[in-house]
Amino acid sequence: MTVRTDMTVRTDVVRTESTSTAHLGAEGLTLGYAEHTVVTDLDLQLPPGRVTVIVGPNACGKSTLLRALGRLLKPARGLVLLDGEDLHHRPTRWVAQQIGVLAQTPTAPEGMTVFDLVARGRQPHQRWWRQWSAEDEARVTEALHQTGITDLADRHVDELSGGQRQRAWIAMTIAQDTRTLLLDEPTTYLDIAHQIEVLDLLRRLNHDLGRTIVAVLHDLNQAARYADHLIMMRDGRIVAHGDPADVVTDRRVHDVFGLEAIVVPDPVTATPLIVPAVPRYARARGNGELVPAEPADRIG
Amino acid sequence: MTHTAVKAPDGLRPPGRALVRRGTLSVLLHRRSALVAAALTLVLAVAVVAAICVGERTLSPVEVLKVAFGHPSPDRLTIELLRLPRAAVGVVVGFAFGVAGALIQTVGRNPLASPDVIGVSQGAAALTVGLLVFGAISSPFAIPLVSVTGGMLTAAFVYVVAWRRGLHAQRFVLIGIGISIALGSLTHLFLIGADIFQALHAKVWLTGSLKGRGWDEVKPVLVVLLAAVPCLLWASRAQRGLSLDDSTAVALGNRLDRQRLGLAALGVVLASVATGAAGSVNFVALVAPQVAARLTRDAHIPLLSAGLAGAVIVVVADIVARVALAPIQLPVGVITAMIGAPYLMWLLIRARAERPS
Repeated sequence: MTVRTDMTVRTDVVRTESTSTAHLGAEGLTLGYAEHTVVTDLDLQLPPGRVTVIVGPNACGKSTLLRALGRLLKPARGLVLLDGEDLHHRPTRWVAQQIGVLAQTPTAPEGMTVFDLVARGRQPHQRWWRQWSAEDEARVTEALHQTGITDLADRHVDELSGGQRQRAWIAMTIAQDTRTLLLDEPTTYLDIAHQIEVLDLLRRLNHDLGRTIVAVLHDLNQAARYADHLIMMRDGRIVAHGDPADVVTDRRVHDVFGLEAIVVPDPVTATPLIVPAVPRYARARGNGELVPAEPADRIG
Repeated sequence: MTHTAVKAPDGLRPPGRALVRRGTLSVLLHRRSALVAAALTLVLAVAVVAAICVGERTLSPVEVLKVAFGHPSPDRLTIELLRLPRAAVGVVVGFAFGVAGALIQTVGRNPLASPDVIGVSQGAAALTVGLLVFGAISSPFAIPLVSVTGGMLTAAFVYVVAWRRGLHAQRFVLIGIGISIALGSLTHLFLIGADIFQALHAKVWLTGSLKGRGWDEVKPVLVVLLAAVPCLLWASRAQRGLSLDDSTAVALGNRLDRQRLGLAALGVVLASVATGAAGSVNFVALVAPQVAARLTRDAHIPLLSAGLAGAVIVVVADIVARVALAPIQLPVGVITAMIGAPYLMWLLIRARAERPS
């Protein structure tokens, strides 16, 4: 049976070769909803085979940009290019074989099992005469295994915990077997342990399967820790991009987020760690009185 | 079969589905859905035989089966000319309503978004009654065409009015309910303004009765149903994409606008042509798909089972309508409304209870 032999092949070796060709980027991209422009004249190149994280304050257009890159939003002007070709003029099914997208709040129908959800990721590869190929079987089995939810396969999606559910959705995009994976705030609504679990999983996908990962994240420290390439946005434009160590500076955090902060090396990974510097008020003391805090650089 | 030294996880198969795989061909069958469809077919067969037996003169099922298999019987004429055509109307009309409801509820992602709730049936009825009372329809064959036109126009109107940078199921349903009430009033206005005999003719058509209906009514619905089979095969696959949220569906390669339009148009045509054949048999399109979905427990509403459930409901309701106050025959629409109206209220109450979450 081809399935078993397939599964024993080290997929990472096979995949990394094809991954090197997935060049996703944008030229002169302007995005908006109705009259309201969100992203203006943006140029972008996403490094293939790496983890890119997009950060920026609320309403800076980072999710909108991600949606356009995933072909969920039609550009008002400009192009989204995959290997030099205009993404919005390629067949829908073909695009779905190249780029996987995990939306911000994906919803599954009531009573759907984890297995069925993950199997949905195979849709771009299926036809009415090819509803469950050996390849489908291998990819879904692998996706469940990669995300550690094989044991949950028969459970209903709506009865899972937040962290389990997010892993099920990520498994669906893994099963889709695309070279590029876009994720819109995949850690929102998760507690800190599950946030780290999801981010570790994404790094592992990148490392083991050679997938190009692009994620929008809220937490600047996590972004700096997990990104190979960091894109910082503000008001629909890219303010800075590159290695997190170069992008994240006191000055930029102030200019982009309006936050006084100092940037120190993360004690574990040595990546930039942002520490808010001069909060106007420290937390309230027992009597409810607000006490001005000492600037961080004067402490100790 | 080749096994390498490293033990890899076995390939997993979709639970609850039968897999047929021959070379590059592979087909999945939802076991429970297939079972439910088979069971509903059996129930429908029994209901049809019962519907033929029940009447002014009760016939034995043995006689009915004899006639069905071509044996001579004194009841042959009663069965072939009166009771079978009436049961057949019930089957095709119920089936069409059930499938139409399943399609439109899928598009609306809401059990309330049924053709008889959002005004499609009422639109079909209003235009047909309007043209009937003013004598513009001379041939009974024109009725299906007029009904489909009325249903399509209403659906398009509701769609345009409800559209505001996207379609929200809740707004769509509320506007549809409003428009269906307005169309109901319009229909009454037509009846009041009409000549008494024309009005009576239209009123009989309107009440959703199977009385006096036969092969002339079966034909157009059956033709549309048969013509729709390839479209329904497409629709049942398109339904899968629509059961996920929009972003995910598009990311998986679904062409949502096209799929929604296709499913909705198919549903509107089926609901309208069924209304044309039997008048407004209310609530069948609302209830049947939900019954089918609960029985099959599939992620999307099963079209075949929804159709079969619709047929069973209409045929059984017609038996009740004939027996309940015999010798007076009630319109079948009265009985379906008695089942459907409380269900609609329950859905509305549940929708309100769920909103805060």
